[in-house]
Amino acid sequence: MLILATDLHLKVRAEAGEINILRGVDLAVRGGEAVGIVGPSGSGKTSLLMLLAGLDRPTGGTLSVAGHDLTRMDEDALAVFRRRHVGIVFQAFHLVPTMTAIENVAVPLEFAGRADAFDRAEAALRSVGLGHRLTHYPGQLSGGEQQRVALARAFVAEPPLLLADEPTGNLDRATGAQVMDLLFGLRERFGTTLLLITHDPLLAARCQRQVRMEDGRIVADGAP
Amino acid sequence: MRTLALALRFARRDLRGGLTGLRIVLACLALGVAAITAVGTLRAGVKAGIAADGARILGGDVEVASQQGPLPEAALDWFAARGARLSQVTTLRAMAVAPDGERTLVELKAVDAAYPLFGELVLAPPGRLAPGEIALERVVADRLGLRAGDLVRIGEARLRLRGLILAEPDKVTSPALLGPRAMIAMADLPSTALIQPGSLVTFEYRLALPEGADRRAFAAALREAFPQNGWRIRTADAAAPAVNRFVDRAAFFLTLASLTALLVGGIGVATGVRSWLDQRARTIATLRCLGAASGVIFATYLLQVVALAALGIGIGLAAGFALTAAGAAALADALPVPPRLALYPEVLGLAALYGLLTALAFALWPLGRAMEIPGAALFRDAVRPARARPRGLLLAATAAAGAALAALVVGTAENRAFALAFVGGALVTLALFRLGALALMGLARRFRAARRPALRLGLANLHRPGAPTPLILVSLGIGLTTLAAIALIEGNLRRQIAEQLPEAAPSFYFIDIQSDQARDFDRIAAAQPGVTEVKRVPSLRARIVAVNGVPAEEVRTTPETAWALRGDRGLTYAATPPEGTRIVAGQWWPPDYRGEPLVSFDANLARGWGVGIGDTITVNVLGRDIPLRIANLRDIAWRGLGLNFVLVASPGLLEAAPHTHIATVRSDVAREGAVLRAISEAFPNVSGIRVRDALEQVAALLARIGTALSATASLTLAAGALVLAGAVAAGQRRRVRDAVVLKTVGATRAQIRRAFLVEFGLLGAMAGVIAAAAGTAAAWGVVRFIMGADWTFLPGTLAITVLACTALTLAFGYAGTALALRARPAPLLRNE
Repeated sequence: MLILATDLHLKVRAEAGEINILRGVDLAVRGGEAVGIVGPSGSGKTSLLMLLAGLDRPTGGTLSVAGHDLTRMDEDALAVFRRRHVGIVFQAFHLVPTMTAIENVAVPLEFAGRADAFDRAEAALRSVGLGHRLTHYPGQLSGGEQQRVALARAFVAEPPLLLADEPTGNLDRATGAQVMDLLFGLRERFGTTLLLITHDPLLAARCQRQVRMEDGRIVADGAP
Repeated sequence: MRTLALALRFARRDLRGGLTGLRIVLACLALGVAAITAVGTLRAGVKAGIAADGARILGGDVEVASQQGPLPEAALDWFAARGARLSQVTTLRAMAVAPDGERTLVELKAVDAAYPLFGELVLAPPGRLAPGEIALERVVADRLGLRAGDLVRIGEARLRLRGLILAEPDKVTSPALLGPRAMIAMADLPSTALIQPGSLVTFEYRLALPEGADRRAFAAALREAFPQNGWRIRTADAAAPAVNRFVDRAAFFLTLASLTALLVGGIGVATGVRSWLDQRARTIATLRCLGAASGVIFATYLLQVVALAALGIGIGLAAGFALTAAGAAALADALPVPPRLALYPEVLGLAALYGLLTALAFALWPLGRAMEIPGAALFRDAVRPARARPRGLLLAATAAAGAALAALVVGTAENRAFALAFVGGALVTLALFRLGALALMGLARRFRAARRPALRLGLANLHRPGAPTPLILVSLGIGLTTLAAIALIEGNLRRQIAEQLPEAAPSFYFIDIQSDQARDFDRIAAAQPGVTEVKRVPSLRARIVAVNGVPAEEVRTTPETAWALRGDRGLTYAATPPEGTRIVAGQWWPPDYRGEPLVSFDANLARGWGVGIGDTITVNVLGRDIPLRIANLRDIAWRGLGLNFVLVASPGLLEAAPHTHIATVRSDVAREGAVLRAISEAFPNVSGIRVRDALEQVAALLARIGTALSATASLTLAAGALVLAGAVAAGQRRRVRDAVVLKTVGATRAQIRRAFLVEFGLLGAMAGVIAAAAGTAAAWGVVRFIMGADWTFLPGTLAITVLACTALTLAFGYAGTALALRARPAPLLRNE
């Protein structure tokens, strides 16, 4: 199992009191699977993704990703874990605005100490059709282009797991379709395991497996 | 009109959004204005104190002072005929000797029964000073271990210690370089045998005029009745011109230091307004889209800035005034008179004007920029600052505000040339930091391919679009430049006093050696064990009354050389050039010269007065005007503390005038006490001044001035820190976001920290290096040209400056980084 989560809980203290965001999530994902996660807003999809990426800590349950017990790792260990095992794509892109496209893509490799970071970053950008935009800043790129840079960044280290949170949410339909074609193409090429949060039933249908969340729990899990 | 009404309405609504972002503008202006207000109020207060208490400080409505013998009977009759009450005071330097032989130099003041005409002399125990008695300042009694009733020897007289002087009404606190006060009755003065021909004695005649008499008219009539006498006549309206000059000069330097703080504050204003407008970008763009003319938008935001500036200035005025009260209490010992603290409208007005002009000069540009940018561009401004320039009219307004600020600085300055240099220096320094920022960004861009990611990231942060590199450099740098300059100036002065002098300087000056004692003095002084050198020259008191026939008061001079035209100067004569003379123009007279009186003059003063070889300087010696023709000019090394005279005359005429001698004696440090005791025992009328003691007094005075300057300069650093904090805070959101994204793609905290370390370390180092260079240049200029002293480079002081600079930037940057790293990533990464 690439992902094995049992009885995951996530409580957040807010002004109004404690909020139970996740209330006992069990999830097992094999390597190479593509899983679509659907459900209404506030059902806990993004929180689950954050836990899987090691960007947040569960308040209960066990969680292992790629053989690592994420509940027992400190912040820096989690960063190294992400560097090796996880690529993430966000709805809001989250590129570093002060770095050029190629610098944004090269960053994970640089942190990993790879000498060929820029060569590979350039290749990754070419593979998403942005070979002519290497030295542009995010502010100079369109939304679709920015998301393609984000895709290149997520795939450049060839991680076994890709987490995507509504990657087309900020894009128009045609551009979104292009980005998703790219995403699925790259996934196939590298054999990456995919967890994709989406509101789009058509996109969810492109995954072999569909998980439905409601109110912090998984309420349905199976083929679309 | 409609525009203004509309703008007022919009401005009021916009202010509901709070002052966030403009708080730094408020603080920067308040700080600068407070400093200027405090300095100005203190200065006005001291001068008002002197003016209000003029008669008490002067000791009379009018004072006539002569250093060349008592006034003739005719003058006293003239006073009496006009109904003036007279009090006579005679001051001179003397040695006070305790019964056990301990001795110290004192400023002896002999007073008559009418003393004081104004105010009250307070002795402990209370009462009056009777003949046969002496009263001492506490420091003298302590130094000599005296108690009331002990016999104190002054010259040839033995006087019973009456008690301590607690308050002297006519005392202006001036640095007591040459000894604390001892007071005796006038009747005892002859028995001291200190008054001898040519002794350094000041005879003061204080007059209380009849009710309603005009002081100035009285003084003018007196001058007319007794022309050509070398007297110093002062009225209570201008009781202490020297003190006033000192206060003006000190206030001038403190004002410049305050202005530096305001200048840094101005940079805070510019960046504060700019980031505030960036926050308002959406609002501005929306207003634009809804059809607001750029005039309305400009007026809307200008009104808010002006309102806020007014608030900041108000706070500054209030804080500055409060600061004055605290400052007056802290400086009570150092101030010549207790200042009269009041709200001086001209001081407050000037400070407010400085604040307003600064606000305008620095805020108009960013305001104009906001007006010029089309709505759509504003949305992208955060990423890539628009290169829009304000239109011509605004450029002109900005330039006008800047020029008015410069004109105000120069126009109100005590020393215009220096004020001009200050303004120029400030501009050059600003440009220097701007260039430094460009260079740093250029270098960072060049090394962008650096291998280590942390290094590359840090470098990228320096040159990326919208990087605050120039802002951080300037805000930190100006304050540090000021501190570095002041540290170097102070260091130079201290060094000259503490390190260089003791080797070159003599151990003692001996004054009032009578001509008939001269040979004995040489013999006895040289015979003392430990004495290695005795130098003696004749000394007369002379007052320069005219230069080339122009009366001294009307001679045009540079400010630095005006001092020599005021008061009495020492004058000597010599057949051959004194040892170490450096003649820079003209010839020395032949040894046997007996023609018209010639003079060898100080080359530096000659430059300042615009005189040269062949010109005439008329001096008054013992009531007689003597024209001296300049035969040559000398460079004088005052620093050596040897026997230097501005005027060295040819022998002949002056040899015949009654005069005394002055001598320097050099001795082993260990034997100084014994030498002083032996010589003053042999010559009771001769006063010995220990150079070491005088230098300690000078050093203490310098330390006080230095403290005041450093305190004011630290305001500049405080303003710089404010601006720096603002710059770091403005970038904080970006930093947090970057840190989160970098963590998401696998960066460890150490890697992110290293990147910030590179960024801030380089910024600090660059700021430090430029501040060191600019500070050195400024200090060199002040030491060399304003103080006319020799310049020594002090690398240690500079190194500390650069290090402090780097450390400070790192501390600020690091604090920001720590906060950025603590942020939880999840909330920031969620979809909005």
